Amino acid sequence: MSYLKESLSEFWASKVSKLGIIFLLVVIAVSIFTVATMPLDYGTRYWSNPRYWVENPKLAKPSWVNYFSTEKLLEHAVLPSEFSIPQFSGQYYLKNYFMNYELKVNQFPTFIMLRLENLTYYKSPPTVKLFIERPDNKTINLYTLNVEKPLSEEEPPFVRYADEPKRILLSGETTIAYALSSFLLTEYNLSTNPSEVMKMGYEKIIFGTLVNGSFQPLKGMYHIKVVLSSVDGRDNLGKVAFVVGGMIFGLMGTDSLGRDLFQGLLFGFPVALLIGFTTSVITTVIGAALGIVSGYVGGLVDDFIQRTADIINNFPQLPLLILLTFIFGGKLWIIMLVLVAFGWPSLTIILRSMVLSIKNAPFVESAVSMGASRLRIMLRHIFPQVAPYILSQMIFYTPSAILAEAGLSFLGLGDPSMPTWGQILEYGFKNGAVYLGYWWWILPPGILIVFSAVTFVLLALGLEPVVNPKLRRWR
Amino acid sequence: MSAIIELINIKTYFYITKGFFKTLAVKAVDGVSLTIHKGETLALVGESGSGKTTLGRTALKLVEPISGKIIFEGRDITHVKKDLKEFRKKAQMVFQDPFTSLNPYMTVRQIIEEPMIIHGYPADERERRVLKALSDVRLLPAEEFLPKYPHMLSGGQRQRVGIARAIVLEPTFLVADEPVSMIDASSRAEILYVLKDLQKKYAMGIMYITHDIATANYFSDTIGVMYLGKIVEYGPTKEVIGSPLHPYTKALIEAVPDPDPENRFRERNVIPGEPPSPINPPLGCRFNTRCPFVFEKCKEKEPQLVDVGRKHLVACHLHQ
Amino acid sequence: MMAVLSVKNLKLYYGTLRGSVKAVDDVVFDLENGEALGLVGESGCGKSSTAIALIKLLPSNVVKFEGEILFEGKNLTTLSDEEIRSEIRWKKISMVFQGAMNTLNPVLKVGFQVAEPLIVHKKVEKEEALDKARELFKLVGLPPEYVERYPHELSGGMRQRVVIATALALNPKVVILDEPTSALDVSVQAQIMNLLKRLKKQLHLSMIYITHDIALASDLCDKIGVMYAGEIVELGPIEKVLLTPKHPYTQKLISCIPHLKGNKMPEFIPGAPPDLTNPPSGCKFHPRCQHVMEKCKVNRPHAINVDGRLVKCWLYE
Repeated sequence: MSYLKESLSEFWASKVSKLGIIFLLVVIAVSIFTVATMPLDYGTRYWSNPRYWVENPKLAKPSWVNYFSTEKLLEHAVLPSEFSIPQFSGQYYLKNYFMNYELKVNQFPTFIMLRLENLTYYKSPPTVKLFIERPDNKTINLYTLNVEKPLSEEEPPFVRYADEPKRILLSGETTIAYALSSFLLTEYNLSTNPSEVMKMGYEKIIFGTLVNGSFQPLKGMYHIKVVLSSVDGRDNLGKVAFVVGGMIFGLMGTDSLGRDLFQGLLFGFPVALLIGFTTSVITTVIGAALGIVSGYVGGLVDDFIQRTADIINNFPQLPLLILLTFIFGGKLWIIMLVLVAFGWPSLTIILRSMVLSIKNAPFVESAVSMGASRLRIMLRHIFPQVAPYILSQMIFYTPSAILAEAGLSFLGLGDPSMPTWGQILEYGFKNGAVYLGYWWWILPPGILIVFSAVTFVLLALGLEPVVNPKLRRWR
Repeated sequence: MSAIIELINIKTYFYITKGFFKTLAVKAVDGVSLTIHKGETLALVGESGSGKTTLGRTALKLVEPISGKIIFEGRDITHVKKDLKEFRKKAQMVFQDPFTSLNPYMTVRQIIEEPMIIHGYPADERERRVLKALSDVRLLPAEEFLPKYPHMLSGGQRQRVGIARAIVLEPTFLVADEPVSMIDASSRAEILYVLKDLQKKYAMGIMYITHDIATANYFSDTIGVMYLGKIVEYGPTKEVIGSPLHPYTKALIEAVPDPDPENRFRERNVIPGEPPSPINPPLGCRFNTRCPFVFEKCKEKEPQLVDVGRKHLVACHLHQ
Repeated sequence: MMAVLSVKNLKLYYGTLRGSVKAVDDVVFDLENGEALGLVGESGCGKSSTAIALIKLLPSNVVKFEGEILFEGKNLTTLSDEEIRSEIRWKKISMVFQGAMNTLNPVLKVGFQVAEPLIVHKKVEKEEALDKARELFKLVGLPPEYVERYPHELSGGMRQRVVIATALALNPKVVILDEPTSALDVSVQAQIMNLLKRLKKQLHLSMIYITHDIALASDLCDKIGVMYAGEIVELGPIEKVLLTPKHPYTQKLISCIPHLKGNKMPEFIPGAPPDLTNPPSGCKFHPRCQHVMEKCKVNRPHAINVDGRLVKCWLYE
């Protein structure tokens, strides 16, 4: 179709459209990547599942901030070990798991955690002990875990921590307070009770030295030893990991639940596209069909459609949305439904007036004189004239839908199970990200919302010279 | 000779609302009767507001008259609304503007095929007829024109595509609404000759609507001069143009520019003023406000069309 | 007699996506004092482009504008936009545009629109300007009270008279009229032509009258230039060109006129005017000419004097 070629070349001619196409390709590429690499139920399975994020540091900044500051922030470290060195010490079979950690910066870890996976034992439950050897060669016997007894109906071998690893947040364990209390006594001759120890912060004690009344981080190599002590040599611990909580994490940092914001933001791409595109396509189809029918058929049909459109246009959209959210709970399809229901009238009203003038064109009259049915005239003669406008409206409506969803989520009316940019923004605001300066939490989603909206606006602007001349004359 | 179409005392009014309660009637066609026979071309000549275009549309039932009768091939179709398929095959229109009378998004093939698709012709029949129609209007080689879009053609070629579309179903009645007024002078005759040939070939009756009495002179057999919704003179073309009786017809003939270098030294005989609005036509003879021969009777009584011999009718008190 | 306007080798090309449109391609003519020159041609021949070139009202996509337009000892092509605007346009050379009657400002009274050039250019007070407007209305055959009316209250013919009055407001030497009657009914057209004849005599105006209708040109013009594809192919006194046309295009054009008297059937020229982005080589009319020779396809003919008029045709060279 040479009109298509002409239109495409005019569209391509402006820098605005080129930029818009580049942005769009970026959005599409990221969305494809996301859909390919992440599961579709990511929202309910992972994002809304706090246990999935438990090993991540909370409110960690993105890793790359270290490139911009001389004072480096502590990296997050997950130190696994599957390899154990067996030992036999008289009565007990020991399996030793070794992990090394080097503290390079002048900061304390934010938390420490021990993860045990796949424990099997045959007779009586083993114990798991955790030792940390500091760079100054002092060793702390930090923690002891007595594995749960077998249940009455269980048969050996007894398997523990296989479906779900056991994670012990050492930073919250009260027993550690006792271990550290005695450490403080032996080391600094400091007499403390466990609650005072907890107030001081375990990480400071474990990873620091007391200098002039306050703890200073002790840099150097730490050796972490986890010992499985059992009566049966077959007892085994599949995997052990020691987590040292850092202050930076991943490409985009974490939120207050420790959720990897990079994943959340990534997931937001296809969701934004889906919401934007689907909503605008449905809205446009409905609005265009009603507009063309209203304009061409006229009469009562026209009156009815126009009055309906007027009423909807003047209806308060937000209270209705709040009501529906209250009844059905915050769901994505409700938002889309409301956006569609309130979006079609404006297109209908404008198209109707365009159709009214096209209706009188001689080539339409010619079709009537041939005996063409009204449907044929609307599809074959009227629609092609308004199609460019409809297309540009569709593209223009997409950012509105994206922004609307973001806005609704921001107001708390969104779907919290789904990590959309609006949702991330909302959660950040709710947790005081603005006042507390968690910029990595709220700036990226904000920028991405603007970016996606701008992409479509640029495309719509690029389409304008194609659409406009066709509006003026039927050439 | 068989009459293809007969219009009996047709009145077509349009209503416009002015304000809340006032409705004004635009009396576009206010009592016109005419007959067109097989193979005959009737020219309707008039200026703006004469009603000629509305009459053409009424004859094709594109606009409904408020009174009068339309008899097509012997059948009264005045009030027929649903069963018009046959009529729509046999009565077609050629439009004035070659730019807007063709859908810019359709190829020449699609444009000419459309009437056949609407009336359910099979594909091979359509193919055959499209090529025949293009050769009828002398757009050759036909295959080259089929995939083209209207904007790739010249005004004259577009107009011929419009004609091809109109005659592809071999109609018996054609309304040509100013078919050459937007075409260059050097191409007009070509298009009118094409129409003449087609008329002979398909034995059509043609209603040729124009403001240009000079083209009506060589293209039509019968001429009807219209003024403000009524026919003021009617008869064989050579007769009416050779001996015009109505002052308006005389004025129209006088107003036609002829190529004479002496013209610039003398002023033409023109009638003053402009055609009044069809909303409130003058009382009596509608032309009385501008007629150079006006007298008392003209302002009171409306003259009827009277046969003055040689099938020449005129509505003027000077000739009653 | 010194020509009032002397145009030499005028060229105006527009830039479009498909290439440059050679709208005016080497146009040459002289306009004598008190003379009406008709530029006759069909769609796309460049007559309207010639008109806007004369008052330098150029659109933004002009790629070539050269030549000489000698007026009162100055070459208008070399003057700056500001000079043309303040000195020439409307004051010395004014224009009636095609369809101007439909572009009158609907919210201003017509009297004011006629008075506007006086207020802007001659710095005349509003009342005085309106008085002059009333005079101009009388001149063009409109009742002076009509200065109070709005465009929608006037008929087509009256609006065209308003436009003509506007063009005469500053007493120009030359008036260019681009198809001033094409949108009017025939009877009104005849009235306006009579008016133009009167004005030409009364005000001793020099006019350039642009039309596609060569018969209409004979109603007013002393000299006629027939244009085809951006060039003037025949230029001479109206008696000579109309009665003994020399260029094949002129001859054909005249034979296309339908006559009310006699039985002669009008002719037509097959084909269509050429695409000005890619005009034919040699003589641009050669694809449609019935006297075409090999020479015509290769070389562009020059204007030579044949029997008292200029013709560009290889038949005479």
